[in-house]
Amino acid sequence: MAAIKKKRRMGLEQKRAMMGYLFVLPFVIGLLMFFFFPMIQSFIFSLNVIEVVSGGYSLRPNGLNYYRNALFEYVSTSNQGKSFMVLIAEGLGTMASQVLLVVIFSFFAANLLNQKFRGRSIARAIFFLPVILMSGVIVTVDSGDLLQSSMGMTQTDAQEGAFQAVALARVLLSTRLDPRFIDFIVSAVNRIYEIVSASGVQILVFLAGLQSISPSLFEASNIEGATGWENFWKITFPMVSPLILVNTIYTVIDTLTNSNSVVMTIIRDEAFRSAKYGLSSAMAWIYFVAIMLVVGILTGIISRLVFYQE
Amino acid sequence: MKKKFRRIRTRRLNRSLGGDIFNIVIITIFGIFMVLPLIYAIMQAFKPLDEIYMFPPRFYVVNPTLDNFTDLFLLMAQSWVPFTRYIFNTLFITAAGTLGHVVIASMAAFVLEKHKFPGSKAFFTMVVTSLMFSGAVTAIPNYLTMARLGFLDSYLALIIPAFGYSLGLFLMKQFMVTIPDSLLESARMDGAGEFRTFWKIAMPCVKPGWLTLIIFCFQSLWGQTGSTFIYSEELKTLPYALNQILLGGFARAGAGAAAILLIMIVPIVLFMATESSVIQTMATSGIKE
Repeated sequence: MAAIKKKRRMGLEQKRAMMGYLFVLPFVIGLLMFFFFPMIQSFIFSLNVIEVVSGGYSLRPNGLNYYRNALFEYVSTSNQGKSFMVLIAEGLGTMASQVLLVVIFSFFAANLLNQKFRGRSIARAIFFLPVILMSGVIVTVDSGDLLQSSMGMTQTDAQEGAFQAVALARVLLSTRLDPRFIDFIVSAVNRIYEIVSASGVQILVFLAGLQSISPSLFEASNIEGATGWENFWKITFPMVSPLILVNTIYTVIDTLTNSNSVVMTIIRDEAFRSAKYGLSSAMAWIYFVAIMLVVGILTGIISRLVFYQE
Repeated sequence: MKKKFRRIRTRRLNRSLGGDIFNIVIITIFGIFMVLPLIYAIMQAFKPLDEIYMFPPRFYVVNPTLDNFTDLFLLMAQSWVPFTRYIFNTLFITAAGTLGHVVIASMAAFVLEKHKFPGSKAFFTMVVTSLMFSGAVTAIPNYLTMARLGFLDSYLALIIPAFGYSLGLFLMKQFMVTIPDSLLESARMDGAGEFRTFWKIAMPCVKPGWLTLIIFCFQSLWGQTGSTFIYSEELKTLPYALNQILLGGFARAGAGAAAILLIMIVPIVLFMATESSVIQTMATSGIKE
């Protein structure tokens, strides 16, 4: 009797779990086939010397040599002879400022776009435009000669930005602020285009979050006599704070794994230009671990500050 | 007394003029940054050849011409495989890949967010992890996997990997959070099966979510050249064919600019068509709290 009762209760839970597994199954298969197995294979490659033989390739065990090589001996000729570790550290440095600026900008933009004004839908479409232009077509077709000249546009843009920023830097230096702070501001101004075009998805996520806040909360606080400023910090900000975590992680990953970033370029070049496949795999794994650490630490810190409405 | 009351009301209902101007100015400044590349691409497509190679490059076009488009269509007509074949290939791959991706990723996101079965958390961590790994390194193992599965030189090589694209699941899960549990609960009470709850209740709620996903997936597949996996000329995609036109040399630059514009315009039109629903109000769940 007890056995039957137990079985029935398990049955209900099991049924729901079974449905869960069934629903994720197609995705799991895809992930395993096109991500997990290739990843494991690249790990095997990083521990072996790969030799191309007729009809395929052969592996010769190489231990951790490639890792040692990447960490301590590798010198990048295309980056003023900096070592791999230094380049990763530099990449993380730029990433930090980039993430801060992108998250703040996208939150700001989402708040602006969430307000009611004339031409709002056009403004939203325009703010989403870079996502369409940047990530898809242009990047894939850029082997064509002409696109270089198209992309030349953004370069001249950046140069103009640089000229403006020199003037800005002078003004800021005369205020005797901390030079590091001035550096940050100047680099931010120089990278406006990059920042704006990297925040499309984040703006969209924030907008969705802002719109899912129940209007009754604002109604109640307005009746209690709260100002717009108080509403923003006491209602809007806590309610979208989980999305700040999401967007931070997304931006970190997006910036670091951007195929134009220095480290990614080196990894790609080692594999396809120098044909050092093992070394490239080892570098990719080191970089991967570094990114995981960053994301882990950030998640740990931010999730303490996040407010979850229950 | 009455006057004071009215003043407060007008402040609440309408934004102040100053705030409006501030908004518009800021949005215009950033907006200009965002439209410039698009306008430049349009300009390029209408420039005669001497203006394209002008140095220093000029942003706007002085003598607009349609020659680039006629050149492009002439080149298309000469192509070895009928050009419509490339268009069909790209359309088919994009449509099948996008459809599969949206359904599969949404199903996974739905149960991950709303079911919390054992192992769901570990699985989601795996998805986020997969976003962090360098695509360049998995390129060769990926090719080996394709070869083993027999996907090489077929549409499947481009369609199937799109199904397991992690970013879609990651975004979709964020949208699924907004569905009230009570809504799903009441659907189950009324006897809806799990799939029905998902398809008829959850999916309409997150329409902005999957429209966003469609746009993402569409544009990444749309730009796919697929030359690594597909060798038969009659299976190759539109961007590949247009790329070949671009590589024809300096004289083809005009036709190339026209080609880029044509490729770019399709995702933009798709976005314009869905935009109003994508960024619509999300709070339309129909539940009173």
